Amino acid sequence: MRGVSHLTDLSSGSAQPASQGNAATVGGDDIILELRDLEKRYGHIQALKRSTLAFRRGEIHAIVGENGAGKSTLIKLLTGVIRRSGGTIVWNGQEVDLSTPNEAIALGINAVHQEVVLCRHLSVAANIFLGDESTKFGLLQRRDMTRAAQKILDDMGFSLPADVILDTLTIGQQQLVATARASLRGTKFIIFDEPTAYLTRQEATQLFALIRRLKAEGVTVVYISHRMEEVFELADRVSVLRDGTHVGTRNIDETDDAELVSLMINRTLDQIYHKEQIPFGKTLLETCNLSGKGFTDISITLRAGEIVGLYGLIGAGRSEFALSVFGRNPKTSGDILWKEQPVDISNERKAIDLGIALAPESRRDQGLNLNLPIGFNINLPVYDQLMAGPIIDHGEERRRADQQIKDLGIKTPSRRSLASSMSGGNQQKIVIGKWLNHGAEVFIFDEPTVGVDVGTKAEIYRLFAKLLKNGAGIILISSYLPEVYELADTLHVFREGHLVGSQTDRERSHEDILAEAIGV
Amino acid sequence: MTTEITPTTTKTRRNFSFLFALTLVGLLVLICVALSIATPNFATGNNISNLLRQGSMIAILAIGQTFVIITAGIDLSVGAIVGFSTVVVAGLIQSGMPVYLAIIITLIMGLLIGFFHAFGIVKMGLPPFIITLATLTSLRGIGLLMTNGSTINITDASFNQFSRESFLGVPNLFWMVIIVAVPAFVFLHLSKWGRYLYAVGSNPEAARLSGVSVPKMIYIAYGLSAMCAAIVGVMLAARLGVGNATQGEGWELQAIASSVIGGTSLFGAVGSVHGPLIGAFILATISNGANLLNVNSFWQRIITGALIIIIVFFDQLRRRNR
Repeated sequence: MRGVSHLTDLSSGSAQPASQGNAATVGGDDIILELRDLEKRYGHIQALKRSTLAFRRGEIHAIVGENGAGKSTLIKLLTGVIRRSGGTIVWNGQEVDLSTPNEAIALGINAVHQEVVLCRHLSVAANIFLGDESTKFGLLQRRDMTRAAQKILDDMGFSLPADVILDTLTIGQQQLVATARASLRGTKFIIFDEPTAYLTRQEATQLFALIRRLKAEGVTVVYISHRMEEVFELADRVSVLRDGTHVGTRNIDETDDAELVSLMINRTLDQIYHKEQIPFGKTLLETCNLSGKGFTDISITLRAGEIVGLYGLIGAGRSEFALSVFGRNPKTSGDILWKEQPVDISNERKAIDLGIALAPESRRDQGLNLNLPIGFNINLPVYDQLMAGPIIDHGEERRRADQQIKDLGIKTPSRRSLASSMSGGNQQKIVIGKWLNHGAEVFIFDEPTVGVDVGTKAEIYRLFAKLLKNGAGIILISSYLPEVYELADTLHVFREGHLVGSQTDRERSHEDILAEAIGV
Repeated sequence: MTTEITPTTTKTRRNFSFLFALTLVGLLVLICVALSIATPNFATGNNISNLLRQGSMIAILAIGQTFVIITAGIDLSVGAIVGFSTVVVAGLIQSGMPVYLAIIITLIMGLLIGFFHAFGIVKMGLPPFIITLATLTSLRGIGLLMTNGSTINITDASFNQFSRESFLGVPNLFWMVIIVAVPAFVFLHLSKWGRYLYAVGSNPEAARLSGVSVPKMIYIAYGLSAMCAAIVGVMLAARLGVGNATQGEGWELQAIASSVIGGTSLFGAVGSVHGPLIGAFILATISNGANLLNVNSFWQRIITGALIIIIVFFDQLRRRNR
């Protein structure tokens, strides 16, 4: 009954008959884990509202939903990190409590989290065997463990050394180590939370192969992702969460992008890539043969009203280029021109004062002061302008913060809430808000939509159009080709620190550009 | 939807910090009331003045320490700077220098010691714990070398008199707390520099990419902390009438304890000026009361330790429930 009532809640989103969703939710006896009327409340806030979901043995079950739809809450409930407020959890036909992480692990439930939760200073092998070390007479068998770990990694098809310190690997490689760790030890149920966010294409391919193998071995895989094409590539079934409610489960071959998106956001998305042609104005920023750490000889021009896209694989030198333009890293040669005048941008303050804004690649590490309030973050670049004598004009401080929160639709009870309490999409809006507040003319967005749901993506793209109309220019760095392809007026392709191709009229296909970026 | 729109939590950070400060004041008042009942000697003008004098020095150290801890650092050298400053100010006065000049030079010296810490952190890449631990031991050594291990007696009566006198019925040493705390409050809570300190403590990279000069803020924080310690050194020299490099032993830990009791987080980006002030006077009152009640001084240390655990534990609970 519960399932039916949920689907009838779906007033406008889908015309699918309720019976179909129901049939997909309650399957046969091959159900490994069933959640009945599961609920989680934090005080007055309901993070998960009486959701009923069933997972089959040996299936890849995708879960999609906007940021804040309750996906993280669901993961935490399944891994015993938090305790449910109501409902029952049935594992292999038996009701279980699942109130501690140890209980989840004992059952065979494991998760690979979006942020790597491993010991950075230990070796790959030590991380894989953490908590399960092989010992002889109480002494660690380091060599045995390294050998065993190497074998595991090789078997999984990950080309990674087992004896290096985790810290020396890229985030993507660390993610693979976390995956290897989670898929060991009698895992029967494994949850991936946005696993490809930091992976290169090759790494993602290795990961997908492993996921398919786990499935073949009868392991249930829960796959959480914002990337629709991955969901369609991998999953057998897909469940949609919206506002903490399970709104439906579909077999993958009976649904499509459009239906899932409309379930997720409860409205149709006629155009995600909102793009308006705006006549280009004067030249704002120019680099002439700029070189620095990680990139060589880059010349690009940005005009008012223009989006210049920088595409390439992670590590191709795009972010390093942006950091040098912003004065974070020193350049080694070449020039930067601002409105056709040579300028010396030797630190971030100079870039900011000229009118350059950088929304950096990592919100958590570079973009936000997470344990400080939203209003604080929004005003951080402009406290200079907020001083009334020696002290801050608090009225103006409040007004500025509230204005950005309102303009950008940041979902928060107050500007005093901590940035860490916000979902990924709202955090990205805070980063953008702080530069709108500052009033820059050149905006550098480095991977602005990583880990952001489709609704927020569309909002961010509409915001780009608004900035361009106000006479700004945008440098858009992205590893997501459809995004830069559709939005950029000029698209530059980076490979190994060099600019290897440019186009202005979308004359070349996605495949051509990808080939250029990979270098085949 | 069957569920009503969930009401948003309107409790805010500021309310929490205000409530916490109120709780601390409540605790302080409670201790005072209890002590007034337990011993007739507590609520006397003489004893209260004495208590204010005792507490004021740690209070000033705690304010300086808080600036540093907000940047997610630590300053272990403040006790040693106190001792060293007593030697410097005493030596200068005894060499015939005018008192005001001797004080100014001592304070500048304190500031420079702080800048040296910042230099070690920013330019040499040393952890704050290490560089300030190094000056903790070296400064005591330098002070002992300068005096050859002996004590310098200050013969200038006006200098010594200052610490014993009162203004408007309040001891001069306590006025010093107000003279330090008011600008400190404006600096930390009302100026952009305060905001930058929090930003550096929360995420230095994000602060940098927002145009905050992280090195400058480190110099300011450690400079102010060391200068607060030099101020305390001058106050102590006046109170005891001597300069001795071994003075202020362990005061850095009392300053850190006061700061932490006052709600400062050792992880950075959380703290205030008023919290550590109250924290310092809670510690001073407990020690004063224990003396009056003839509690073994060994017990005092245990009580202080237990109090730190209890208060910080409740503070953690409060943060977690947010």
